[in-house]
Amino acid sequence: MIAASAGNVVVWIVWVVAAFTCLGSAVAVVSFSNPFYSALALIGNLGSLAVLYLLLSAEFVAAAQVLVYAGAVVVMFLFVIAYVGPRRETPWSGGPGWQTIGAVAAAGALMVEIIVAIGMQASGSLSHETEVGTAFGTPAWIGRVFLVDHLLAFEITSVVLLIAAVGGVILGSHTKRATT
Amino acid sequence: MSGPDVAWYLALAAVLFGIGALGVLIRRNTLVVLLSLELMLNAGNLALIALSRHFHNGAGQIFALAVMAVAASEVCVGLGLVVALNRRNLSLDVDTLSELRG
Amino acid sequence: MTGLTYGSWLCLLAPLAGTILILLGGSRIPRLAAAWIATTSVFVAFGGAVWAFFGVHSQHQGPELLPLTSQVTVPAHGEITTAWTWLQSGNFHVGLQLLVDPLSTVMMLIVSGVGGLIVLYSIGYMDGDEEERRYFAYIAFFVFSMLLLVEGGNLLMLLVGWGLVGLSSYLLIGFWHDRPSAVRAAKKAFVMNAFGDATMALAFFILIAHTNSLDFGVNFNAHLSGTATNFVALGLLGGAVAKSAQIPLQTWLPDAMEGPTPVSALIHAATMVTAGVYLIARTYPLFEHARTIQLIAAGAGALTLLVAGLIALVQTDIKRVIAYSTMSQIGYMFVGVGVGAYANGVFHLLTHAFFKALLFMTAGLVIHAVANEQDIRKLRGVGRLMPFTKWCFLVGALALVGIPPFSGFFSKDPIVASAAALGTWYGWIFWVCGVAGAFLTGLYTFRLWYLVFPGEPSPFVREHYHDHHGREGAWTMLVPVGILAVLATFAGWLQWTPRWDPFTRWLAPAAPSLAAAVPTDTQEYFTSVAVVIAGLAGLVLAWAIYSERRIAIPAAPFWRRLFEEKFYFDWLYDRIFYEPAVATAAFLRREFEEPVVLQTGPDVGNTTLATGSLVRRLQTGLLRTYVLFLAAGAAIVVLAFLIAR
Repeated sequence: MIAASAGNVVVWIVWVVAAFTCLGSAVAVVSFSNPFYSALALIGNLGSLAVLYLLLSAEFVAAAQVLVYAGAVVVMFLFVIAYVGPRRETPWSGGPGWQTIGAVAAAGALMVEIIVAIGMQASGSLSHETEVGTAFGTPAWIGRVFLVDHLLAFEITSVVLLIAAVGGVILGSHTKRATT
Repeated sequence: MSGPDVAWYLALAAVLFGIGALGVLIRRNTLVVLLSLELMLNAGNLALIALSRHFHNGAGQIFALAVMAVAASEVCVGLGLVVALNRRNLSLDVDTLSELRG
Repeated sequence: MTGLTYGSWLCLLAPLAGTILILLGGSRIPRLAAAWIATTSVFVAFGGAVWAFFGVHSQHQGPELLPLTSQVTVPAHGEITTAWTWLQSGNFHVGLQLLVDPLSTVMMLIVSGVGGLIVLYSIGYMDGDEEERRYFAYIAFFVFSMLLLVEGGNLLMLLVGWGLVGLSSYLLIGFWHDRPSAVRAAKKAFVMNAFGDATMALAFFILIAHTNSLDFGVNFNAHLSGTATNFVALGLLGGAVAKSAQIPLQTWLPDAMEGPTPVSALIHAATMVTAGVYLIARTYPLFEHARTIQLIAAGAGALTLLVAGLIALVQTDIKRVIAYSTMSQIGYMFVGVGVGAYANGVFHLLTHAFFKALLFMTAGLVIHAVANEQDIRKLRGVGRLMPFTKWCFLVGALALVGIPPFSGFFSKDPIVASAAALGTWYGWIFWVCGVAGAFLTGLYTFRLWYLVFPGEPSPFVREHYHDHHGREGAWTMLVPVGILAVLATFAGWLQWTPRWDPFTRWLAPAAPSLAAAVPTDTQEYFTSVAVVIAGLAGLVLAWAIYSERRIAIPAAPFWRRLFEEKFYFDWLYDRIFYEPAVATAAFLRREFEEPVVLQTGPDVGNTTLATGSLVRRLQTGLLRTYVLFLAAGAAIVVLAFLIAR
């Protein structure tokens, strides 16, 4: 919970900075030709997202974001990138001529459509900001909701993690000599 | 405290999603594709959290945590694939992995 | 159902059954079996016709024989039998009807009787032909169609028969379909007949518009306006002129000689070409209301009989001489029905059927015996080797010229006399034409006789003549010829109009002669003398020129060329109709059929191939492409949802 001091202006400034960092690092992820730098840019993206989550009164999720994503996932990425070795490629090359144009068009279309959808809804149910209590977003609150209201999701998520771990180990293990 | 409306957050999520999609579609390095995939997942997370705050419904944050867990698992498996490819001295170029030709 | 009804249906359906049996048998039955099936079916039809004849005759004896009033009631002393309602459209009904009355029974007897003899003759003539079965199927079908025409109980059934005889004629003229000349002749005949069919159909449309019916009785009693009646009569006349090969639609008949000789005898001498005469006699009330058109019919007949006679003078093909003779004699019949003497016209139809079929069949015997040669310049003296044929031909020739006591005398002279009986200027013109025509008839007929039959056999004849097992032909050919020779001699004695006229009285209920066209006895005698003298004069002149060679043929190159070119009718019709049609067809094929229609197939194929190869480029095999399609699909779905809201 951020102290409600100096009114909206601080919140807005923080939001703008975080948003720009987010988008800028996203573009960097997509644009760098060295995957190492892309992974580093991803860290910036994840950090800015954590800030945004804090603005949205989701403290636990913000903490989990930094711990899990920036801590574990990106580190995994960096390990594998280092293992695989240096690769450089021109980012926007290759494939049939219409691939690039089609990709830009599709991605742009999706973006525009979602924004339009939001705009259409903006006068509807998105216009009423409700006050949330101070307990909203705390770990205790999350824990209770997780374990009481959404226990099934909790269990399934743990199963998914287990399967992923097993799969990752199998995929990454040494293969036996092929007998062909 | 009042800050930007939830619409702003959603718009940000949409743009982030678009950039991630662009990266998936255009980059040829498998690792970068996976990174772009992370961007898209994070965009979804942002939308979930924003709407959870707006509707005062905890399910959004729960869902976001689940997505985070799934994303981590998927990265784990994907990177395992990359390691396996590398061990067999196959190229990591997505365009050369074209056995799916119809 | 009385004998009349049974007889008429039997007569109609027997040849049809014959055709169907031959068709069903196909190549399984031997050729001779097909031939005898056809012959038997036609003779059974003749039996049916005789039965119907006696049925009508017995009705005549009864007290219900009433004189005709001015109100025409058809069927007068005839009976209409209806099988079922064939066509129905609102208030308009047409039944599958047969009419059996004096006129139709006469025609039935002629068609089935002479037809039967000719089909019997065909057995010998067509023996050995590869496609004999097809021939007999066609000829039985023709007899059925002609019987349908004459027995039709309303105008629509008549038209059906009319069309079917046109079809049979086409099939039989082009029977030897590997000869291009035969195919051309068949097409020509069919197209010219189709023109007549069209004018008849238009006449029927007018009738339906005014009377809402095609029944005889309704239409004959209806009072149409002057113009309507004229148009109806004109339409019917168009059909009659086309079918009977009168000027101006006569050019198809000589070409129709491409068909086998029995076909020429049956279709183009005895029966089909006389259908026009029958039509005018049957629909006489309509024509009498449109007197001008009826007189135009007589005029066309008069003109044709002269023109055909002149053209026959220079023909060198034995069958074509006889064909032009047919055209000329039908001209006489048209004069007869045109002036209003229906009985005389139909009586000449009867005798003409006998002697013309006889002439064709004897010519066929000659052709068969000398290796299918038809050029009379090569056939000199063939009579010395074929005496029976020679005498039969002579009988036919004398009947044709009209020398008493042969049949032509009794039937031709009354027609000419009826023309005189009119008393008008055109009546006298017809009379003069008739007498002049008799002269021409004598001339060309005996030109043919003297060139072909008497005298020393030519080297060609000597070399190519072969007899049939010691006789001049198979018995199936000789017997009908003999029967017809007898009929051609004696049939005329049925009626000698000054003294006894059973035929006219028989036909009176159905086709009463117009009072203005009944000649006095003096006119009859005077005309007969004139016609006979004219005919004898032609005979003597032919003898002088061709046999004794006392008189040379005059050079007269202009006239000779005019006759040889058949008065340039063919030349004219070629320029006006045939060549533009061919040019249009060639143009359309070049500009439209080949580039557009025929190209459609390859174009469709090429377009499909091109589209396919375009689509193939989507299958890049790249993962990124497939993900792009996923993203694009998602974008489109979202767009659809947005639009739906």
